Amino acid sequence: MDMSILRTEKLQAGYEQHTVFQDLEFAVKEGKITTIIGPNGCGKSTLLKTMGRILKQKAGTVFLYNQDLRSLATREIAKRLTLLPQNPVGPNELTVEELVTYGRFPHLNQGQKSSIADQKAIEWAMDITKTISFRHRELGSLSGGERQKVWLAMALAQETAILLLDEPTTYLDMVHQLEVLKIVQQLNRQRQCTIVMVLHDINRAARFSHEIVAMKEGHIVALGSPQEMITPEVLKQVFCIDARVMLDPRDGVPVCFSYDNLQTEKETIGGEA
Amino acid sequence: MLKYSQERFVGIMLTALGLIVAAMYISLSYGVFDLTFAEVVKTLFSQGNGEYDVLIYQFRLPRIVIAGLVGTGLGVAGAVLQGVSRNGLADPGILGINAGAGLAIVVFMFFYQGKLAGSDWFSILAMPFFGLIGGLAASIFVYLLSWKNGRLDSQRFLLTGIALGSGFAALSLYITLKMDPTDFHTATVWSVGSLFHANWQYSISILPWFLFLLPIIFWKAHILDLFQLEESSVKSLGVSVGREQVILLLCSTGLVSACVSVSGSIGFVGLIVPHLAKSLTGIRHQQMIPLCAMLGMLLVIVADFIAKNIFAPAEVATGTIISLIGVPYFIYLLFRSKA
Repeated sequence: MDMSILRTEKLQAGYEQHTVFQDLEFAVKEGKITTIIGPNGCGKSTLLKTMGRILKQKAGTVFLYNQDLRSLATREIAKRLTLLPQNPVGPNELTVEELVTYGRFPHLNQGQKSSIADQKAIEWAMDITKTISFRHRELGSLSGGERQKVWLAMALAQETAILLLDEPTTYLDMVHQLEVLKIVQQLNRQRQCTIVMVLHDINRAARFSHEIVAMKEGHIVALGSPQEMITPEVLKQVFCIDARVMLDPRDGVPVCFSYDNLQTEKETIGGEA
Repeated sequence: MLKYSQERFVGIMLTALGLIVAAMYISLSYGVFDLTFAEVVKTLFSQGNGEYDVLIYQFRLPRIVIAGLVGTGLGVAGAVLQGVSRNGLADPGILGINAGAGLAIVVFMFFYQGKLAGSDWFSILAMPFFGLIGGLAASIFVYLLSWKNGRLDSQRFLLTGIALGSGFAALSLYITLKMDPTDFHTATVWSVGSLFHANWQYSISILPWFLFLLPIIFWKAHILDLFQLEESSVKSLGVSVGREQVILLLCSTGLVSACVSVSGSIGFVGLIVPHLAKSLTGIRHQQMIPLCAMLGMLLVIVADFIAKNIFAPAEVATGTIISLIGVPYFIYLLFRSKA
């Protein structure tokens, strides 16, 4: 048995009668940024949610430091792992600082006032996400990009070793996408955070990940470094596209600069799970 | 910088307290028989040998105290239910908890026929317990039927409550019709939400519930703040969502059942008060819930004063007065939530 920080064993999950995946085996590499890519409905969000105990598995086990997730108190899990859902929503009247303070919940004893350590974590989280300058503004008054950084700050205030991010850049403009991913990179470099995220943009995945995992129809079809994964062959297999890929002359990171349907014209259609 | 500061909160609480004291004074002095300020003060401080002892200690004061307690209970329970269900239209009345508690109490009255008029300690102390059984049954039904995809569905929560509430109310009516005439009258007056029978024993019978349940709710107030986020965020923060929901639901059901046992089904307090409190002090439950307690108290004391005096010497049920304010407010909220 390997000592993975987070791994799944014969995991089966889904919604009501519908099973999204079964017998899924996946181990997250400690201290790395892992990105899950794949077409809509392939199960990448479902996998993330099940690993983050947001969704209850139908069968199988998720291990956090070799402990069954179900055997741990949810509050203990929240000290080690957090998940930022896709498009989180909160009350408009809440201020940035208040929301970030919520992130300290798992570290507080009930009813206890926040300690110096809590205050430090809150300041740090707002600082690294550059939300500190508008800490007193209300959520309702923020732009989509600003709001996403505030949610990220809340997750960071939890000070967990593992961060699961479900499409953290969706609906953001190019600059904010870059900002969010730079924060993720900085976290990984400075605090050795283990990060697992779902991204749709394969070029961002290539640039910001150590490892890419490709899912399709509930299976992990390939995994490896960006150089191994962002290739015409893998992209054809995963997305059924004819992708044209070259390496960025500056740093050798693969870039998919254009793509087209395969000759069969067969499109992958499905609702996002 | 912050719109809702601590100073502002203290100011609002003191204002509410002032208004409550004023409402209490008016209720004590004004009525079929008017008293002057000096007479009220003299009676309150004369310790049992004033001229108006009977009027104040036997009739007006116990009624004000019950009105205050019921208002507090319903206001706080409403805030908790709205927080737990993430639905601003939730209210103990709408969720069928009143009706469930009412049904159990009507059943109790039915089997305890003819003994209601007397001030029998057993029946008075037992009523909140019976109310609790009914209220709990209603809450549990509503809660279980509102589960969808492993989580509490706030739309279902409301709809199930409305449906079950109507069912319980119909059953109560059926049982009431089977009662003998004296009990029928008592039960009907009681069921529309009246404080006509208020006495000190009622206050004493529900006080323990308040002393036990209110502190738990105040202590859990910060969890209600977190419940305003999406369920996945709340879970990620390490909150045992199901467990906390059940605890909070039980506490509010207990409060509502105690209130219903002494005042019948007074609706809409739990709907109006939290909205008012939110607009005054913001969405932080640690401030909002104490304010709900104050505003609920004020609302029911004032409504009961109107109910007593508007058509004096005839009396209107307190619940009717609050419904007259509550129904338009509910419709207004319904429209605003759609927009």
